[in-house]
Amino acid sequence: MTALTGAVLAQNALSAADLPQIGAPAIEYGTLSPVLAITATALIGVLVEAGAPRRARFGLQSAVAIVGILAALAATVWVSIHDLGKVSFEGTDLLARGKTVAEGALVVDGPTVFLWGLLLVFALVSMLMFAERGLEGGLSGFTGQAAVAPGGAGEREATMAGIEHTEIFPLAMFALLGMMVFPASNDLLTMFVALEVLSLPLYLLCGLARRRRLLSQEAAVKYFLLGAFSSAFFLYGIALVYGYSGSFTLAAIDTAVSNQIAGQNLLLAGMALISVGLLFKVSAVPFQAWTPDVYQGAPTAVTAFMAAGTKVAAFGALLRVFFVGFGGAQWDWRPLMMIVAVLTMVVGAVVLIRQTDVKRMLAYSAIAHSGFILTAFAGAYEGSAGTATITSVSAVMFYLAVYGFSTIGAFAIATLVRDGGGEVGHLARWAGLGRESPVLAGVFALFMLSFAGIPLTAGFMGKWTVFSAAWSGYAWPLVVAGVLTSAVAAYFYVRVIVLMFFADPEGDGPTVAVPSVMTSAVIAVTAAVTIVLGIVPGPVLDLAQNAGTFVR
Amino acid sequence: MSMVELTFLMLSGVAVFSALLAVSTTQVVHAALWLVLTLGAIAGCYLLIGAEFIAWVQVLIYIGAVVVLLLFALMLTRAPTGPDSATTTSNRNVAAAVSVLVAGGLAAIMVSGFAGERLAPPRGGVGSAASIGDAIFGTWVLPFEILSLVLLAALVGAIVLTRRGPERDNGAPGDVPERAQH
Amino acid sequence: MNVYAPILVLGIIAAAFAVLSVGIAPFTGPKRYNRAKLDSYECGIEPTPQPAGGGRVSVKYFITAMLFIVFDIEIIFLYPFAVAFDQLGWFGLIEMVIFIGTVFVAYAYVWRRGGLEWD
Repeated sequence: MTALTGAVLAQNALSAADLPQIGAPAIEYGTLSPVLAITATALIGVLVEAGAPRRARFGLQSAVAIVGILAALAATVWVSIHDLGKVSFEGTDLLARGKTVAEGALVVDGPTVFLWGLLLVFALVSMLMFAERGLEGGLSGFTGQAAVAPGGAGEREATMAGIEHTEIFPLAMFALLGMMVFPASNDLLTMFVALEVLSLPLYLLCGLARRRRLLSQEAAVKYFLLGAFSSAFFLYGIALVYGYSGSFTLAAIDTAVSNQIAGQNLLLAGMALISVGLLFKVSAVPFQAWTPDVYQGAPTAVTAFMAAGTKVAAFGALLRVFFVGFGGAQWDWRPLMMIVAVLTMVVGAVVLIRQTDVKRMLAYSAIAHSGFILTAFAGAYEGSAGTATITSVSAVMFYLAVYGFSTIGAFAIATLVRDGGGEVGHLARWAGLGRESPVLAGVFALFMLSFAGIPLTAGFMGKWTVFSAAWSGYAWPLVVAGVLTSAVAAYFYVRVIVLMFFADPEGDGPTVAVPSVMTSAVIAVTAAVTIVLGIVPGPVLDLAQNAGTFVR
Repeated sequence: MSMVELTFLMLSGVAVFSALLAVSTTQVVHAALWLVLTLGAIAGCYLLIGAEFIAWVQVLIYIGAVVVLLLFALMLTRAPTGPDSATTTSNRNVAAAVSVLVAGGLAAIMVSGFAGERLAPPRGGVGSAASIGDAIFGTWVLPFEILSLVLLAALVGAIVLTRRGPERDNGAPGDVPERAQH
Repeated sequence: MNVYAPILVLGIIAAAFAVLSVGIAPFTGPKRYNRAKLDSYECGIEPTPQPAGGGRVSVKYFITAMLFIVFDIEIIFLYPFAVAFDQLGWFGLIEMVIFIGTVFVAYAYVWRRGGLEWD
């Protein structure tokens, strides 16, 4: 049938031979090297899965993933030195540094490179948690066989035989690839493809917990259904914006928006739908409902990876789309985003108080922190040449760095407090942890203080930067709301600390498993970063500030 | 009204009608089959607006593969597939109200955005496979290559979620691959 | 519209053939049933047994359908490539080789992991 169509079409349509030869598209392999390195790592991972003997696979896969991420990190540093030239416009240097690559599909600028660095470091730390095998008697924290029924004979057989899913590493690499491309996309189509690459492996990984598998599978299905729904919103929004502006490229959309080329209804609806897709990924209210269930059900290593990585990627994309593409319509979207920011902070902080499960508590904490980051976003302060006031983009990036390390550390500690049935989720069972293991409880307290934003922790500097950016953008009501909700949330965080150190343990009290060097390294690194960024935030803050604004 | 416009209207009518039946029928298998008709009618609409390649993709991928997958999914689960198998909950009316609102809202946006516009009929094979090939392998090469990785990840996921039984060991010496037990 | 008229005619002929041959069979064909004729038809192989108690049909069908859908999507991209091959030149070929390369990786994985074995 298709051959017939082709033959008939050739009569009155242009045949292929009439069209001019198109040149090879320009692909800047050097500038894209971090993305290419992660792609290669993922592909090698799948090949290892196909070729390596079973016994050797887990070690080999974790080594491949870690080496790949280190290579990509090195490439990112190289890119940051070589490819971030100042952008000039009519002879004057702008704040932006970098360039568009791959036929305009991606833009590698200061924020991109900063976020790539963050994502790679978070992924590296998370891969150490993925590779932890000291807590389940020599097996990983992931289910042996996802296809067998939970609690059945097949599951016991798989555990006895020591079967493990080693595909988790390539899947995580695919997700990481999507996370890297997402905030770097220069057009909405690339962004959508990246959204799918980052989401699909995460849906899968969420369902692979070794303990409490039904909860884990429920989390995966919920995340998948709601995530697919939000992707559809995002895609429909893209279609409407394309209908308005006639282009997928952010710069062209900006031109159309600034010149108000058509009726505003299409644009407003498109912006609303796109923001639904993005706000879902950052779990902002009212699109937060999936967060507690998914964070609780997913394997804790995946939760850590997701909580830090997805947030970085989604906020990067949110900022790029709205600052670059819809910058000309900011008086339309800023009021709405301010409401979303306040709602997110309030709901996150208030519901947080009533939590009794550690992972759900961290989930609501994630929601509240999304709200704090949204204040800087809704403030939309883009800075001006010659002043050193922190911009919204820099503030968000710095906060993401601070929050990511603390949250990965907190989840890493949550994997260690265990009893016979696996991790102990209920907070009441954490009572007296300070006597059982003062160091661990102390580090957890540090993360809590950082979440609460107590001075001399990284969290304080993070909050200070986002509120300062919001203030510069004349969004002072957000700053007031932010400070108040911080105080509410701080009450809860301090109560957790009191519970760990001053409450009597329930029954035997919690036991703290002795992890391998992997998880210990994760906790040590994240705790160190949380302290260092609290005391000497300067270098990282400068790095975020020097990243400048987005390249259009 | 030209012949093309008339056909377009008829096909859209078929699409909307069978979509309504797909969500209101009491048999889940029938719902899947009504979906086939919806997707087919939409493929016809694509053809009429000159998106030739997309129309064939719609037929090959959606009707040929996605609906088949859907039917397999129905047959895999223990849920009944006979009459009254499409169980409804008390949310039914709320859901109906929400969908009517959403459809109305989207229609209003479309009308306010494009009312009175006459789009020129497509010329010179804009939606043909050749011009799509040019676009994919020229401007959109990076998203295209990344797309292959989505498919790869989906495939890995499908195997992870469905393979069971003692695993074949990849070429360990002296190891006879065991058959999966069902 | 005229472009598609032959396809429309072909479609009508095909539909008529299908309806006619199925509709006329009960009236013209002999009815001699035996065990093999009444058995469920599965492409000439022994019918796959239904699992006792668990599920209605085997999950193996689903894997096959999943594999089909993924490779189907990959194959569909070959068509615009083939049609536009003249203008794309060497670079287009390299792009397609990379694309097919990932399919090959997928294939190697599925094959080694036993995804292609029926039982």
